[in-house]
Amino acid sequence: MRFEREIDINSPKEKVWRFLWDVDRFIACVPGCKEAGTVEPGKSYTATMVEKVGPFRVEFPMKIDVLESRDLSYIKAQATGSDSKIGSRMKVELDVSLAGDGDRTKLSLGASVDILGKLATLGHSMIKRKADQVMDQFAGNLKQKLEAHA
Amino acid sequence: MASLTTRPRDAQTIPVSLDVNGKIYELDIEPHELLLDVVRDRLGLTGAKRSCDMEVCGACTLLVDGRPVSSCTLPAFEARGKRVETIEGLADKGRLHPLQESFIEHGGFQCGFCTPGMILAAKSLLEENPDPSEADIKHYMHGNICRCTGYKKIIESIRAAAAKMRSARSRS
Amino acid sequence: MLRRFRLEEPETIPEASELLGRHGETARIYAGGTELLLVMKEGLAHYERLVNIKKIPNLDRVKRDDGVISIGALVTHRRLSVDDVLNKQLPAFVAMEKNVANIRVREVGTIGGNLCFAEPHADPGTLLLALGAKLVAAKAAGSREIPVEKFFVDAYETALEDDELLAEIRVPVMPSHSAAAYLKFGYLERPSVGVALFLSLDGGAVREARVAVGCAGPTPRRIEAAEEILRGKSVDEASRRMDEAGRLAAGASDAIGDLHGSKEYKEHIVGVLLKRAFAQAVEQCR
Repeated sequence: MRFEREIDINSPKEKVWRFLWDVDRFIACVPGCKEAGTVEPGKSYTATMVEKVGPFRVEFPMKIDVLESRDLSYIKAQATGSDSKIGSRMKVELDVSLAGDGDRTKLSLGASVDILGKLATLGHSMIKRKADQVMDQFAGNLKQKLEAHA
Repeated sequence: MASLTTRPRDAQTIPVSLDVNGKIYELDIEPHELLLDVVRDRLGLTGAKRSCDMEVCGACTLLVDGRPVSSCTLPAFEARGKRVETIEGLADKGRLHPLQESFIEHGGFQCGFCTPGMILAAKSLLEENPDPSEADIKHYMHGNICRCTGYKKIIESIRAAAAKMRSARSRS
Repeated sequence: MLRRFRLEEPETIPEASELLGRHGETARIYAGGTELLLVMKEGLAHYERLVNIKKIPNLDRVKRDDGVISIGALVTHRRLSVDDVLNKQLPAFVAMEKNVANIRVREVGTIGGNLCFAEPHADPGTLLLALGAKLVAAKAAGSREIPVEKFFVDAYETALEDDELLAEIRVPVMPSHSAAAYLKFGYLERPSVGVALFLSLDGGAVREARVAVGCAGPTPRRIEAAEEILRGKSVDEASRRMDEAGRLAAGASDAIGDLHGSKEYKEHIVGVLLKRAFAQAVEQCR
């Protein structure tokens, strides 16, 4: 599953870039994401992803690795996690691009989400819908938090 | 398997008189124990198989009061006061049921994994409808999946058994 | 693996309702369990208490109650598929029930359980929408009627309150010169697209039309825009406008691309099924 979002933020690139690397504040923008931790700054992090659809609840402890980064313009990261209780794995490849000058930044988000295991078979449509919602909220939260810091 | 895990002393159990193939077993069953596990692990009747574990394939089919159920998803306590039939109970003192004979004669199985479920489902079909058309058979047996045969021989076996059973009934 | 749970077996609705109220999210109503036990086996949900309502009397009747067909929540799909009253009064409902899941699920699963679990890929809700059914929710203090349009809130979520259980489904008797049709499509274990149509004719014209699409979106939904196209038109004109009605129904179905097919494919199927449902219903109305 691939999701893409573009957000216009009334905040200079430098501020946005700093925000992206502020793990706690960044994670706080992702709905369902909590307990952020830094294993190696700039390289690897941890977080827990908790999602609920109706009565169903999944919890994925995630390992996040930064694969590529170019100052003030690009980050590529990979997040993987598994919920052994339900025998499912989740993998997200996230790419973030920044463009713009002055006080405005265009943030392009791309996420490739793979869910493996029983959860994927039983709830494929629901996962897709939920992931869409999460992306929307994430993009909205990012914009809001960044513009509030102006 | 659920029934072989540790049972706490204060676990809720339901006393159940389980009638399986005409034999009564007095058991204390916890609510979460599934009929498939009780029949296989406690009673040693391993004809029913755990295959998809989600009610789709029919390999776990058992008859409860003559009706087919997915024993992989039916709590065993639901069989209290009811008659459970497994494939092991079909033959009568060594004499095979017409369905069993038919499946052998007409090549209705290859690996045999789906076969106990197939035969039990077919048995309940023929009790409900002794003269089913091919469409009737396909509709009824739709939920019993076979990877080996391609179904043609299974349908033939069921039709042949139905004919045999009908003529046996008209003779008696 | 199914984890340990406590079984409660109330013998009255107030008792069941009181158990739900007392134990909140840790308890759930259990009847056939054909949907519930699956997700519990998968570890996707767990309840410390299952409230078995099969010992409560009078929840398993099917009867005609003046201008309404009353269906008890505990009636299994299997019983519905062979019921004489239903066959006479609501043949489309019987036809739908005959094809729910497979013979084993039909044997054990109940209509109430199916509706309350609110799995998007299901059949009965879609047809009940087109039939204008009302669902009776009961609790200790009394009961209320929920129109089926308000019953499905989201995937796996209904309008039932925490201490309510579904007791009865009430379907209006079909007027003369009316018919309903339910068509579905799918090649996985669950249906991918379901379309229900209720048609009532007056002379050669469509007096009333109700269109519902299920399985494509998170809940089944009525498609008023498609109904408006058909209402008041002659059968011939309505037939000519089926493509348009199909497109409207497809667009409003909230389809999402997934293992069941792409959004476009499902929308296409909605159009095809609606056309066929119309032809079928018209035939039966005469």
